[in-house]
Amino acid sequence: MKNPYRSIEAEVLKVTTETPSIKTFLLKPKEELTFKPGQFMEFSVPGVGEAPFTPSSDSQIRETMEITIVKVGKVTDAIHELKPGDTVGLRGPLGKGYPFMKFTGQDVLVIGGGVGLAPVRTLMYGLFHMRKQLSKLVYRGGCRNPEEFLYRSELEEWMKRDDIDMKLTVDHGDDSWNGPIGVVTTIMDDIDVNFERAKAIVCGPPVMMKFATFKLQELGVRDSNIYLSMEKNMSCGFGKCGHCRIGPYYCCSDGPVFTYDMIREYPGIWD
Amino acid sequence: MLFINRGNLDQLLESLRGDYRVYVPRSMGGSTGYSLLGESDTDYVIGSIRSFDPLKSFYFLSREKVAEDFKPDILRDEKPPCIVGAKACDLKGFRILDFVFIDDEFGDPTYMKARKDGLIISADCTDVGETCFCTAVDINPWPEFEFDINLSPVDEGFIVTTGSEKGRDLVESRKNLFSDAPEDQVEAVKQNRSNIKSRVMTSAQEKGIPVADRLKWVIKKHYESDIWKDVSEDCVECGACNTICPTCHCFLLYDQKSDGKLARYRMWDSCMINDFARVAGNENPRDRLWMRMRNRFDKKFNYFPEVTEEIGCSGCGRCTAACPGKIDIREVLAKLEV
Repeated sequence: MKNPYRSIEAEVLKVTTETPSIKTFLLKPKEELTFKPGQFMEFSVPGVGEAPFTPSSDSQIRETMEITIVKVGKVTDAIHELKPGDTVGLRGPLGKGYPFMKFTGQDVLVIGGGVGLAPVRTLMYGLFHMRKQLSKLVYRGGCRNPEEFLYRSELEEWMKRDDIDMKLTVDHGDDSWNGPIGVVTTIMDDIDVNFERAKAIVCGPPVMMKFATFKLQELGVRDSNIYLSMEKNMSCGFGKCGHCRIGPYYCCSDGPVFTYDMIREYPGIWD
Repeated sequence: MLFINRGNLDQLLESLRGDYRVYVPRSMGGSTGYSLLGESDTDYVIGSIRSFDPLKSFYFLSREKVAEDFKPDILRDEKPPCIVGAKACDLKGFRILDFVFIDDEFGDPTYMKARKDGLIISADCTDVGETCFCTAVDINPWPEFEFDINLSPVDEGFIVTTGSEKGRDLVESRKNLFSDAPEDQVEAVKQNRSNIKSRVMTSAQEKGIPVADRLKWVIKKHYESDIWKDVSEDCVECGACNTICPTCHCFLLYDQKSDGKLARYRMWDSCMINDFARVAGNENPRDRLWMRMRNRFDKKFNYFPEVTEEIGCSGCGRCTAACPGKIDIREVLAKLEV
């Protein structure tokens, strides 16, 4: 019988400081470990504890995996102390991935905010790999200030591509910023897609997901076509420990990506 | 139907000690509690109602090391449990825990092993506890499922029925301990069952508990009501209702280093405790006690019927008996019916 509680050993190969409170860790699992965009991993510091994170790297890279982590508590404090050569644990992949099959032939909108840009990066690699099978591809990203933009140089490279309509905004600008200023919903009015059929993927802090969802509804996107990345307290990651319930679902095993029509009636989804 | 006298039951249990860890109810205060049957022990009772302690603790341990270092090994390796005298409400608890923990891909390995290899010798209730209300959640006060052998107490012994292949094989292999059931004793079992059932029903009706198929509806109807604030006023957040409940399954995983080894523990958790739903960055979607109280009822009476068509409550009344704030689950349900 399989032991679902056991982590696979992985080595920290590289640590990149993205912002004062965000680091990206390049990890090499010692056993085969692959994932699909939208799935997550329980990342553990030996003896300290585990916490759930969505990888930020290209899921087609099979030997290594990147995970971008904000320092917010006990486990993430310990993760931020990690150095190349250190040993960590990975348990997963957990949850369901994005249903890429359903995106085929459709216009796809991606709305990302704050540290939500980390999982969005994995998603974008996935969408770029299948770009020819998609109709239009639109990306709208927002952050509080330019310093918070993760992977800024990579985002600027994507901006140059002619197969994506991409815009970024910040709540508060600075000298380095000559783009729009305002929350992400303020750069959604010029989106030109078939809203009636478009697939919209939203990932970011709860308040941003809430207002982005309302904006998408206003633009005519169907609730069943709005994909949200939900965040709840998750311990086991596979629907047994009871922590992350949303109505009849567990965020971990039935999600963490849900369409809005699945969860809209349940209280506290934006909390 | 078969009959076994108490002396032969002692022998049967003694003979099972080789293959199982045999747990029996023993008198404790005014109730019964489970402990291991030692060599030649006969100091057990079958118990007129459910024990004080829930039987989940023998299958889903309150604290168990579930992984060590990065090894895939399954750590608990001991003889399977044999539970003697389990009541219908306890068996209902297994129905819920089975739904949660038995799973091809992510099943809990030690729970699944204990369930598969374990043995359940259940028994009819012969009395009604002060807090019992099983009939209100559609359970009869005698075992109807999830048992291998059932004992229905009668004068000087028990009428025996089998509920599984394992139970039938066991009886077959120890034929000499059993005799044919006398007709009048079989009749006495029927009498007892109908008598106990009507007593539980009367008690549940007096409390005004909504009928079973309305429970889900009343929870939904009162989801936004102030009832939750009222009923949580006396809660001291001790989590006793969770630990004592045969269907509560929530746990957390906890890592530590001991003797230079990494150890991951699975420990019972309580949804009544403030941190239960707290996420990274300190946001807490259920930061008020009444929200957690509502969540507990929603989980049992709305969530489980929605996902498995089983009410997530066995009507055992242990939570009511254990609550230091004297919160009575029956009274909470009755308030929702208004």
